[in-house]
Order: sequence, then structure tokens, then C-alpha cells
Amino acid sequence: MAETVAAVVRRTLQRRRRLAAERIVLGVLCPLGLLCLWQALDLVGAIDPRFFPPPAQVVVKGAAILADAGQRAQLLSDTLITVQRLVIGFALGSVWGIAMGLAMAVYPPLRFSFGPVVYGTYPLPKIAIFPLLIALFGIGEAGKTALVTMGVFYMTCINTLSGVLYASPVYRDVARAFRVPVWTNWVRIVLPSAMPAIMTGLKLGLGQALILVVSAEFVSADDGIGHYIWDSWQVLAIPRMFVGLVVVTLIGGIAVLLGSLLERRLVPWATH
Amino acid sequence: MSETALTIADLRKVFITRKGAVVEAIAGVSMTVGHGEVVAILGPSGCGKSSLLRILAGLDDDYAGIIDWTLEHAHPSAGRLRAATVFQVDSTLPWMTVEKNLLLGLSGLRLPADVAEARLRDNLALVGLAGFRRAFPHELSGGMRQRVAIARALATDPLLLLMDEPLAALDAQTRLVMQQELVGIWQRTRSTVVYVTHDIGEAIALADRVVVMTSRPGRIKAILDVGVGRDRDVMALRRTAGFRDLEAELWALVSAEVGHSLAGEARDG
Repeated sequence: MAETVAAVVRRTLQRRRRLAAERIVLGVLCPLGLLCLWQALDLVGAIDPRFFPPPAQVVVKGAAILADAGQRAQLLSDTLITVQRLVIGFALGSVWGIAMGLAMAVYPPLRFSFGPVVYGTYPLPKIAIFPLLIALFGIGEAGKTALVTMGVFYMTCINTLSGVLYASPVYRDVARAFRVPVWTNWVRIVLPSAMPAIMTGLKLGLGQALILVVSAEFVSADDGIGHYIWDSWQVLAIPRMFVGLVVVTLIGGIAVLLGSLLERRLVPWATH
Repeated sequence: MSETALTIADLRKVFITRKGAVVEAIAGVSMTVGHGEVVAILGPSGCGKSSLLRILAGLDDDYAGIIDWTLEHAHPSAGRLRAATVFQVDSTLPWMTVEKNLLLGLSGLRLPADVAEARLRDNLALVGLAGFRRAFPHELSGGMRQRVAIARALATDPLLLLMDEPLAALDAQTRLVMQQELVGIWQRTRSTVVYVTHDIGEAIALADRVVVMTSRPGRIKAILDVGVGRDRDVMALRRTAGFRDLEAELWALVSAEVGHSLAGEARDG
């Protein structure tokens, strides 16, 4: 009997390992396959290499940039300034957005007055008011920070608000039925119950922030990875532009990864 | 009954739907609950029994009539909640441990730490979860989570324990086991209980008196004494002739109301 149990356990573990391996292999193989397809299309001459340089050429270009001290410093400083704008705008926007969302959720007069304002201006593409933000905050860092902050604010504010309002009503009943003090209710019940929605808001806000920071750098900056991409395009240094695109993708990927790690820490009950 | 714990006089509750239709949920309910008594409220769905419980729980202030917490006036009590509720659905907070869930229930009482700790220990032991203080709800079964909710309510040492079909979400076997556990727990805590259910057998198995409500608008149709002491064996009780007679009598009362309620829904719909 014991042997059979051990065999069953072994088989279950094997199946689980196989599934995990399959997931990793396919997750790596699929993007690689797409890159190979791209390379193949270039080999048969199906795409224009002037605008769509094959992956191998981009890799070679990237290596060349990293090998050259001056170009490497340029790429690095542009990346860092973009990351800095991203972090500052994201931090300001998310703190402000979560606070506003919570306040609107718990205090109805605030929701009634600011709900129409927030929801009414939400669909407006933020980049459309970038000129106004420049007029208000100047062409320096402040204007770009304000743009990113706004994008993140809307995502976190709206998600936090609906997270509280649509949390299971039984949590509210528990707070009332047990006469839980106001502050305890906020910190121990309202905030955690909205936490999964807040995390969603933060992740969406991150995407917004990346879009907005690169857009702002396209339009009005002489540094940052957005400027690097736009500048490359203007002088038709297309492989260099692709290196910039790879960097933006990496920034986004790392940010998403950090986000999921944070989520696993903050809402362990939801990912279970 | 030695003392009256609670008097309800001419309680009325009206809902107004989105379309402006007026729905009378409770149409003049008057009853008393004795100190240490377990009263089951039985009725078809929509009879207003849950509305009654929410009013008693302090979750709904919008009603007419008088609720007199007689016992509270007689014994002014620090460190006790007037009423504590066990909900039908899982009401444990998934982001805190069992221990924190209980402490949250106590947070409004502002007990000294040692008193809170003693209540925590005693009540977790009472529901058989002494070894699960640091477990999270998702690590427990549905029955265990409901026991956490029961311990959380009991820890507040309530003058009135309110239970809204607390076993309805559990499977049939667990439900029977929990019925016996509730009998044992109440015997030790001498709780005064108002227990809402639609399960006739459960009402008899647990209660001293069964209040049958009419279909909407909810009124009291009949009040039956179970006539068995608090010290009872639920499974043995279920096999007695007295249980079956009472069950048949209650079924006759309730089934007429279920018929009314269905007819009413057909008419409204």
C-alpha cells in the first residue's frame, strides 16, 4: 500500500513538474520563434530592412553601443532619467490617487462632488493636455512629472474607489455589527478589502506612466529613452531606435515583475 | 423563563424598490426573548426574518416599532456587546489570521490586553480551534471558518447572540455535527440566541421556542414550544416521536406559507 501511495505521489509530482517545465519552455520558445520568423522574413526579402532591421542586426547594434564608452554612457543616462521620471511620477500619482479614492469611497459628499469631475475628465488622453501642463509647470521636469502623475492618479483613484464600493458587503456588516472603531475599520477592513483593486490600479497606472513618460520625451525633452528613440528615428538610425525600444520593453517588464512580487506580498489571500 | 432579555413591540419594516414599489417586509411583529433562551425564527424565503435579524444586529436603523433591550438596562455592562452576529455567508476577513479576526470583533470593546487574550483563548478552545490561532481563513475548511465567526461573536460576550442561517452554507454532514456543537456551546455560555433558519429540523434541534413567520409581509403565525431541555443530543432527539410530530406540525404551518409566497411571487412577477 505504502508503495502505491509513494508511486501516486511521484506521478503527481512528475505531472506538476512537467507542466511547470512546459510553461517555461513554451514561454521562451514562442518569443524566440517569432524573432526567428522575423529573421527568416528578412532573409527571403519579404520585409524592408531599412525600417525593420532583423533581430540579429539589432543585437549586433546593441553590442556595438555597449562596447563604445561614449554611446554606452548616452544610453545609460537616457535610461536612468526615464526611470527617474517614471518612479517620481508613479509615486506621486499613486499616493495621491489611493488617498483620493479612499476618501471618496468613505465620505459620500466628496464622492458626489468629485465623482463627476474625475470620471468626466478620465477619458481625455492625458498627452492632449501636455501643452497646458507645460504652460502651468514649465518645460522642465515639473511638466513631465505632472503628466505622469495625472495618468497614474486616474488609474489608482478610480480603481481604489470601486475597490471599496464593490468589496463584499459582509465586511461592512461585520464592521457595523461589531461596532468596530472608525480608524480600525479604515485600516483593518476598508483598505485591505480594496487592496486587490488597488493593485490592479497600480499595475494599470504603471502602463500609463510608461506610455506618458515616453510620449512626453518624444515631444519635449532632450534626454530620456523616449528622446533616444525619437532622435534615432529622425536621423534614420533605425537599429539604434530598436535598441531604444528594447530598453523600454525591459523597463516595463521589470516594473511588471516588481509589481507582481509586491502583489504577492500585499494580497497573499487573493493570489492563493 | 426567568428574565426577559429583549422585547420587540409592533416592529415594522418597509422597503421601497428602485421602481418605487412599496414592499412591506415586516408588518407588526411583537415578541419577547427570555434570558438564556434560544428562539428560532422559521419562515419561507422573503418572510422578513433576515430583515428582523439585521434590525436586531444594528445593521438597519430604518424601522418603526420598539425594541427594548430589557436585560441591558437591568445589567449595564462594560466589556459586552449588546448583540453579536454570525452571518450566513463566510464573514471571516481573509487578510487576517483567526486570532486577528477575533480581536477585530473585540476592538470596539477596548478590553485590557489580558482580558482580550483570555477571551480569545477560551472561545477558540470552545469551538475547537485552539491550534489554529495563526491560521489564515483560506487554510481552513468552510465549517472551521464558520466556527471562527461563531467564536468571534461569542468572544464579545454578547447579551444577545444573533445567527442568520449560520449553517446554511455547510454540507449536510458538517451541518449536523455543528448543530450538536452549537447546543454544547450554548449550554456552556448560557447564551441568549435568536436563530434564523428555513430548516425545520434545525429549528427544533436547537431552539427552546420556534417562531413561525408568515410569507410577506412578515407576521408571527405561531409560536411553538419545543419542550426539550437545553441538555440535548441532537441525533437522538431527531429519532423521537415528539420531534417528528413537531416537525409535521411546523411543516404544515410553513408549507402553507411557502405556497402563499410562491403565489405572491407569481403575482408580483
